[in-house]
Parts: sequence; structure tokens; C-alpha cells
Amino acid sequence: MSKPSDLIQGTLDLLILKTVALEPMHGWGIAKRIQQVTKDVLQITQGALYPALHRLEQQGWLRAEWRASETGREAKFYTLTRAGRVQLAKELEQWERLSNAVGLVIRTA
Amino acid sequence: MQWGRRWNIARLRLRSLLRRNRVEAELDKELRYHLERQVEENLTAGMAAGDARLAALRMFGGVSQVQEECREMRRTEYLDNLWQDLRYAVRMLGRSPAFTIVVVLTLGLSIGANSAIFSVIDGVLLKPLPYPNADRIARVFYRSKVYAKFPMNPWDFADFRARNHSFESFAMYSRHDAQLSGAGEPVKLSGFRITSGYFRVLGVHPAMGREFDFSEERPGNGRVVILSDGLWRRQFGADTGILGRKVMLDSVPFTVIGVMAPDVDHPGNAYNAVAYGDTVDAWFPFVFEGNPAQRGSHFVEGIGRLRAGVTTLRAAAEFNAIMTELATRYPNDRNWTIYMAPLYDEIVGPVHRLLLVLLGAVGMVLLIACVNAANLLLARSSARQREIAVRAALGAGRGRLVRQMLAESLVLSMLGGGLGALLAVGGVRALIGMLPAGFPRVAGIHVNGMVFAFTAAIAVGTGLVFGLAPALQSSRLDLQQGLRERGGSATGRQARLRSALVVGEVSLACVLLVGAGVMLRSFMNLLNTNPGFQPQHVLTADISLPSKNYGTLEQISSFDRKLLVKMNEVAGVQAAGLGSDVPWTGYDENLGGFTIEGKQESPNNSFRARYHTASPEYFRAAGIPLLRGRFSTDGDTKDSPKVLIINQAMARAYWPNEDALGKRIDFFDDKPKESDWYTIVGIVGDVKDSPESGGVKPAFWWPVSQQAFEIRNQSVILRSTMDAGALASQLRAVVREIDPTLAVGHVRLLDRIASESYATPRISVYLVGLFAALALTLAAIGIYGVVSYSVGQRMHEFGMRMALGASPWDVVRLVMRQGLVLSFAGTVVGLGAALVFARALDSMLYGVRASDPVTLACVAAMAMGTAAAACYAPARRATRADPISALRAE
Repeated sequence: MSKPSDLIQGTLDLLILKTVALEPMHGWGIAKRIQQVTKDVLQITQGALYPALHRLEQQGWLRAEWRASETGREAKFYTLTRAGRVQLAKELEQWERLSNAVGLVIRTA
Repeated sequence: MQWGRRWNIARLRLRSLLRRNRVEAELDKELRYHLERQVEENLTAGMAAGDARLAALRMFGGVSQVQEECREMRRTEYLDNLWQDLRYAVRMLGRSPAFTIVVVLTLGLSIGANSAIFSVIDGVLLKPLPYPNADRIARVFYRSKVYAKFPMNPWDFADFRARNHSFESFAMYSRHDAQLSGAGEPVKLSGFRITSGYFRVLGVHPAMGREFDFSEERPGNGRVVILSDGLWRRQFGADTGILGRKVMLDSVPFTVIGVMAPDVDHPGNAYNAVAYGDTVDAWFPFVFEGNPAQRGSHFVEGIGRLRAGVTTLRAAAEFNAIMTELATRYPNDRNWTIYMAPLYDEIVGPVHRLLLVLLGAVGMVLLIACVNAANLLLARSSARQREIAVRAALGAGRGRLVRQMLAESLVLSMLGGGLGALLAVGGVRALIGMLPAGFPRVAGIHVNGMVFAFTAAIAVGTGLVFGLAPALQSSRLDLQQGLRERGGSATGRQARLRSALVVGEVSLACVLLVGAGVMLRSFMNLLNTNPGFQPQHVLTADISLPSKNYGTLEQISSFDRKLLVKMNEVAGVQAAGLGSDVPWTGYDENLGGFTIEGKQESPNNSFRARYHTASPEYFRAAGIPLLRGRFSTDGDTKDSPKVLIINQAMARAYWPNEDALGKRIDFFDDKPKESDWYTIVGIVGDVKDSPESGGVKPAFWWPVSQQAFEIRNQSVILRSTMDAGALASQLRAVVREIDPTLAVGHVRLLDRIASESYATPRISVYLVGLFAALALTLAAIGIYGVVSYSVGQRMHEFGMRMALGASPWDVVRLVMRQGLVLSFAGTVVGLGAALVFARALDSMLYGVRASDPVTLACVAAMAMGTAAAACYAPARRATRADPISALRAE
């Protein structure tokens, strides 16, 4: 199990943006989705998730709105904005470059 | 897309700021939702209800921490910090109330003064004139070598109107007061005769009825009137059926054809002036009468609306071309050119400079207050070095420290601004009371939102200005040294900065003092000039005789005689006179041309002088001295040989080396009959147009019984042995007794008229003097602050000096020298600056120049004296330095 603080700085943003890119989701849903997709490798704590969501919202990458959730109660759903989509592309590209670089080091060293 | 994002961000920030509770509630709800889902999951996993909740909470970590972190993401911590800073600032300021009170008071006074002057400037200069596209309205006058501004001739006007292409519409207007009678007490109306395009020029329309058209300018069609909204409400009870009704004006029926909209301002006029504003009661059509070839009489003023894109310069060029052409046909039109000015300049021109000078003065006061506050803050910050060092040591960054210090100065300036706003409200009321009677656009002066915005802006601005230097200065401290030293001493840099600030304060104060000084000298000069008449205990009033009942000279003379006889019988009347006008009630270019027996007019010396009428007692009543000869008497009647009184200026102008008495003048162009000649029988003293006017123009007075043409607007002038104001009711009663249809208007005391003539220089002296006094006080506080602080620092040194044999007097000299050196430097700089700045005042001064050496010397003495006084207390304190403890410490 890996804590988010172990994640490379900025990776959490990438994960959130990517997850939300599929469909509007609330915080719980985002955490669960990441947990499922990574087969419980990445468990994002609320302490990291919500500040990150709020930061992304404040930066204009995400837009939030209140909607009825699958349980029937109102939840805050986050949607990727167009600016967010651009940002996601940028971060993905960076991530690719970084992981390639790391891969190179690991394989050759 | 970027814009969309920016907009989003801005919206969110604003929301977090303004709807804080809502945002917090949402955060709460969002986190709770997460928690509940976790609880549900735990329950599904088979936990007991209580355990499921506890486990969920445990997993969540500290809810409030998460909340706090989310809050931080909103980026409003900056403002929260500001709030903290402000609260801390208020606490710190509360701990040194003397400092706080001095700074807030000085800032409040200067901000208030600025706001008050700004409200006047806003109302008078900044607010657009209440006419659509007012910048296209221009005033048109004649100009000659002698007269800068002269009324037009009506027939010339007709030619200009027909031929010019510069104006969309061009009109003229001329004062024509009337008497409204028929219901109750007769009322004197302020009226104007206007040509048909007049209201189109102004861009205003009647609320009811119509404007005049061309047909009403023809003789016989002129008995129509347009009422002002005010008159319609006052005298006709806002009767909506008034159109078409006849009203009695000057005992003649006039048909009401229109009622103007409310708030239609009279644009002001120069000849027989009525002040700008809601000052006109009725308008009559201007009827063209007489011989169109006779163009010697000038009494109408032009006003026009320029076509879009046409400048006054271009329009004036076109008019001058027409004028040149007219001059070839009409000899009277020779030697005139056209002077055109935008309406705005005509209205506010006379006060423009005064207001800007006041704004400059008050701006300087604010600058001094800022410098003063900065100075006091610097002194305070050096005393607080330790506290600042501790804060820095505990991890406050420099930016944070600067912000903290700025918060303090902002709190001070806000308090000052609040006080200033209150003072401005009162100050504006006082200012309006002090403004001269004819001051333009006074009705538009209000302390409004614009003024409060200005006040807030200068409050914040001053807070930043006077706070920044001390904040940067004190945050730059050496941490170790700051922590080590107790109380701390000013660094050399800081001491130099503070001294420079004091020098600046003193020099600004000197500039203001010089301004106030020369204005005071100028005012004294005005007061000391002999007005040429004696205004004390004199009552004046206007009476106009309608031409219907007073068509002939006999009828006018008969009324005059009856009135004067009766008034002379009233107890307390020392002299009762009557004439065309009274001194200092307006400058009329009522020039009459004439022929002097045995003299030839030359182009350079045309025979012209101001004409007036006067009854025998007129001069005695006004207190104008007879220099030679005699006044007219009751024996000078229509049928007796005609006599004339002239002033000294006229005697000098036309009979420079001979005796004017006994010389003869004729006012008729064609061959005079023997009975047409007027013989000069008296020479009276000169009376200026107004106290500040340079010379006196030649003038003469026809006896009222022998006036060359009927002058029906007359002024009564009564000299009393007691309170002249008490004569008003008796005058009214006497007039009513002779003719109940006559109104007595403009009842005023002559000394009141005289003192109003001084109102502009008086208000300049008062205000600039007040600002200068404020500036000097601030400078004194500044000097005191610096010297007193340095004495505190040097007590030990003084003790040593005294222990080594210095007398207290030596110490006093040492301290005084510091203050006086600063003040001297400031005085030198200030007087230099004053010589440059004060030149702007020259045109406002009378009999003194802005570089007046007496004033400069007095100002220097005052600045040095104030510095000495400000140093006295610190110097006394220095002498109390204890030599023993100084030695012991060594």
C-alpha cells in the first residue's frame, strides 16, 4: 500500500484529472475508482484527496456541481473543464517523459 | 478558453470571500457525504453500527485538518491574514493612543480638507453642464482694442445668423426683467429676451407648450412669454391650463405659450449679469425694432450650438470674415472682431484658477500629513525594533512583516479617512456659505458617492504612501542586532531619512505660507484701497417702471420726484437718491458716444464714457465726494439748460490740461440744437467697477430729470442715520402708496454689496491661510518628533558633556541647532519652490507680487520661529540629563 505522499509530486493531480475525464464523479467515487483500477495499490486518503480537488477546482481545471448521487443523496460532482482537458494532456505528456526517463535509468543501470 | 478559466477562478474566489458560510457548509456537506459512504461500506463489510462510524472517522483522519487544507486551497488565507494583521494593528495602535490620535487627527483634517475642496471641484468643474453635448455650445462676443468682451448689436446678429455655417443654431439673449402684477403683491421677475433658436442652442425643451418662432421676433408679435418651472409653480400653482392664458407683465397682457422643464439652468451672461443656474423666471421673444442700418448700440450676447466637428476657432474665423464684410457697409461695425469661447469656459473660467490653487494647497497639506505620519511611524518602528526582530526570529518573512506594518498604516489612514469624510460633510456646508454670491454652479456642490470614493481612494493611497517607507525600512533590520539591543537605536540611514522628511515638510509648509502670505497682503491692499464711496448705513433697492404707464420722461421724473420727497420725510433718512445703478453691482459696458464741443475725435481717442443717471442727492447718499463744481439740483429740469456730472477719470481723459467745468457735450449724432448741449457742472470722485479692477473708466451722470433717453430700471439709494435695513419696509410702503403695481426688488445693504465684492479674495485668504496654518503645525510636529527622538537617544551623551563641564545652555544650543538646521534647509528649499509655484497666483493678486520680499522674509522668520518653539521642550529635557548616571554607566 502506498500513501499519496509517496506518489511523485503532481501525480495525484494527474490521477484525479484522468479519472474525472471519463465522467463527472464525486470525491468518494474518485477515490474508489482509483483504488479499484490500481487493484488497491493506490489508496488515496481523504486528507489528500479533498484539498487536491479543491485546488484543481480553484485553478479552473475542474468544475463542481451538486447532484443527486447513486444513493439518492446530494453529492458534489466534479467535471473536467475544457481547460482541465488541456492540462490533463500536458500532465500526461510530462508523466510519459518522466516514466520513460526513470525506466531508462532502471533498465540500463 | 483562457478567459473562461479566468472568469471561473475569479467567480470562485469571490464566492469564497463573499459567501463564506455557504462555501463552508458545502465543504462540510461534501466531507460528510464521504464519511457516510465509508460508514455504509463498513456496515456492508459487517461491522457494528458504532464501530463502522468510528472506523470511518479514523480512516478519514482529522476532519478539521482536511477542512483547513481545503480552505487554504481557496487562496483566501491572504485575506484572513490581512484580517489578522488589521486586528493586531488596532491592538498595537490602541497601546499608543497619543501617537494614534496625532496621526489620525492630522490625516483626518487633511483628508477632510481635500474631500471638501474636491466636492466643490466635482460640482463646479467636473460635472458636465446640464445641456446635451454641452461642449458644442459657444458664447459669442465682440472684441476691440479696448474691450476684451463686448455685447453684440442685434442687427449684426441677424446677419450672422443668416450667413454663418458654423452653428447648428445661433441665438442671442439680453436681460429684460419684468414686473408681474395682477394677483397680490407685484413681483419682480428676472427675465431674458431671446431669439427663436435659444432653447435649441441649449438643447432643452418646454415641458408644456412651445418655444418662440421667427414670427414672434417681428414688431407687434412679441407679447408672448415662456415661464420657468419655478415661476409656474410659485405664482401659478402649477396650473396645467396656463397655456394661452394672459398674464400682466409690466402692466401689459402677455400670452403664456410655454412652461420650461424643471432644472433648466440659465447659462449665465456677462452684460447685466444674472448668475448661472436656476435664476431666470421668464423668457420673452426678442423683437427686432428700429433702423437696421444703425448698428451703434450693443446690448445682446450671442450663444450658439456648433455643428459637429466645428471648433470655436474655425467658427470665430468665419464670423470675423462676416464682420469684415459688414464693416464695409456699416461704419459702426468697424474696429470690432469676434471673440468666441466654449460655454463651459465662460461659466467656470472665473473660478477655475481659484479652485485649482485651492486643490494644490490642500494637496500639499495632505502630502505634509503623509510625510508627518511616515516620520512618526519611523520613530515608532525604531522603538519597536525588538518586537519586529522577535517576529522575524519566529519565522515571519519580510513580506509578512511589511504587510503587518502596512496594515497599521492602513488602519491609521482609514480612521483618518473616516474622520475626513465627516469633516468634509461639515466643511462643504461651511465652504458653500463662504463662496461669493455669483459663484457658478454652487447648487451642484454635494458630498456625493464620487466624493466618498475620492476620500476612500486618498485614504488608502495615503496609507500606502506614508506606510511603505517605514515598513520597508524597519523590515530590513539586522536580526541579531535587533534582538540584542534594548529599545534599539536608529540606524544612520533611518535618521537621515527622517531628517529628509522633516526638511520636505518644512519646505512644503513654506510654499503654502508664502501663498497665504501674498494672498493676505493682496487682500489687505484691497481692503485698504479707497472704494470711492461710503457703503456704511446705506440701503439700495431696484424699481423698474413699466413703459406702459411710464412712457415719457415726465412720467418717470414725476414718479422719481414723488418717491424722493416722500423718502426724505421718513425718519432716519439722511439722503435719498436715485439713479440708473449703484456702485459695485455689476460691470456694464454701457458706453455712450458723444461729441465734445470744439474737439475732434481721433481714431485713437474716440469720445466714449459710461453713462448713468443720478438724482441730486444720489452722490451724497452713496458717499461719492464732489471734487469740483456742484451736484445737479431740483432746479435742473427737463426745460432748463442741461447739466452733466462727470467723474475725475473722464475729466482727465478728455480735458487733461484744462478745466472740464463749463465744457459742453452733445449726445445726438446730427447737428445739435443749442438745447441739446449738456454743460459739465460737477466733477465727482472715481469709483472702480470692483475692488480689484485696475483703473477707473470715464463716466458721466445725467440728472434723472434730463436723461437723454428713458431709463426705467432705477436703483434707489438711501443713506440712513441708523440701521439702514429698517428702511426697507418704509420704502415698500412709500412705493405702494405712489403706485401699487410696482415691485421693489433686490433690497440690499450697500456694505453687504461691498463685502460681497471682497468674497473671492477673502475665501482664498481664509482657506489658503487655514491650510498653511495646518501645514505649519504639521511641520512643527515633525520637527518635534525628530528632535525629541534624537534627544532621547543622546541623553547619555548630554550627561557626559555636562559632566565634562558643558553648561545646560550649551546642551540647549546643541539640540536647538539640530532643529534649526533642518528647518533652515526646509525654508531655503521651500522659498525656492514658492518662487516657482507662486507665479501661478500672480493673476489673483492685487498690488503685490508672488515674489514679495516682505512675505518671503516673514515666512522664513515664521518657519525658523516655529522650529525653535518645537525644539524647546526636547531641549529642556536634554538639560535634565544626569551627569552622575552618565559617568557611572561609563
